[in-house]
Amino acid sequence: MSGATVVGDTTWSGALVRISPYTFSAIGIAVSIGVSVLGAAWGIYITGSSLIGAAIKAPRITSKNLISVIFCEAVAIYGVIVAIILQTKLESVPSSQIYAPESLRAGYAIFASGLIVGFANLVCGLCVGIIGSSCALSDAQNSSLFVKILVIEIFGSALGLFGVIVGIIMSAQATWPANAA
Amino acid sequence: MSSTFSGDETAPFFGFLGAAAALVFSCMGAAYGTAKSGVGVASMGVMRPELVMKSIVPVVMAGVLGIYGLIIAVIISTGINPKAKSYYLFDGYAHLSSGLACGLAGLSAGMAIGIVGDAGVRANAQQPKLFVGMILILIFAEALALLGLDQWVSLPVQYGLMQVRISVGTLGRRVGPRPEFFGLGGQA
Repeated sequence: MSGATVVGDTTWSGALVRISPYTFSAIGIAVSIGVSVLGAAWGIYITGSSLIGAAIKAPRITSKNLISVIFCEAVAIYGVIVAIILQTKLESVPSSQIYAPESLRAGYAIFASGLIVGFANLVCGLCVGIIGSSCALSDAQNSSLFVKILVIEIFGSALGLFGVIVGIIMSAQATWPANAA
Repeated sequence: MSSTFSGDETAPFFGFLGAAAALVFSCMGAAYGTAKSGVGVASMGVMRPELVMKSIVPVVMAGVLGIYGLIIAVIISTGINPKAKSYYLFDGYAHLSSGLACGLAGLSAGMAIGIVGDAGVRANAQQPKLFVGMILILIFAEALALLGLDQWVSLPVQYGLMQVRISVGTLGRRVGPRPEFFGLGGQA
């Protein structure tokens, strides 16, 4: 190998290089979809409970404010999309190559990509949920406010998109060594 | 194994985690800022609907924090290419520190923007003269995130005045002695 490593077994990097890159990849893919769905669910219940409560006295708001719920759902869909993309980045390498530096890097890239998407969608779902609940409550009092508060919600949902963009850019780094060897 | 791969094996782990930290923490700050000030805007909009569009300023400022994190995360993750340029543990740690610095600064700025924005828009509804004051305070809070976006870390070395610079423009690039002098690996 052309690059020297730090003194191998006495540092904790000796432990890191012994973890299979497929472990990291699998955890990354799971986190990307699991934590995104958690964020979406959290946002949906925050919005939904406020929406239902506000609609007691103002039933007209129900159908319009379902869009807030849909914004939260979109966050979960981002997580699913990226999980599928990361899954297609997995390749099988011969067992002699599993701990090669290039494979390790690919595993770390998929792991970090999944973390990014998962947690960015988690906070995005929360944010959209909180604003959606305020949107429903203020719409019930004054219907001209719906569109204005929706603008704020759109700013919030951009955060999930940032996560997806960076996750996909990073997943392009997940190149495994060629099978020929 | 590619014969052109040079650098330490575990270094990309820290590099990629740095990119992740940059984006995730900045998004946390942006989300907090957006949600907190958004609730304030919605609450005060019930009484003064005409002020809502003016009061979206804190929300926009919070959204910008997510963009800062996006920039740093993309710069870091495209800079991790051990085939094109050797990537030692030093570079990995540099990227991790850049990402954490930007991300945590963005998180703090987002929290500040959220709380100030919430209080500011509610107060502005009652006293219109406070708008400029609210904007000034928000600008100071946004400056915190800018501090994280462009960091300067210098490690004076016993070999002279050479410095190691970690900043937006030179993420991971070194001006100084080779990393094996730090005992961080590299060719003998």
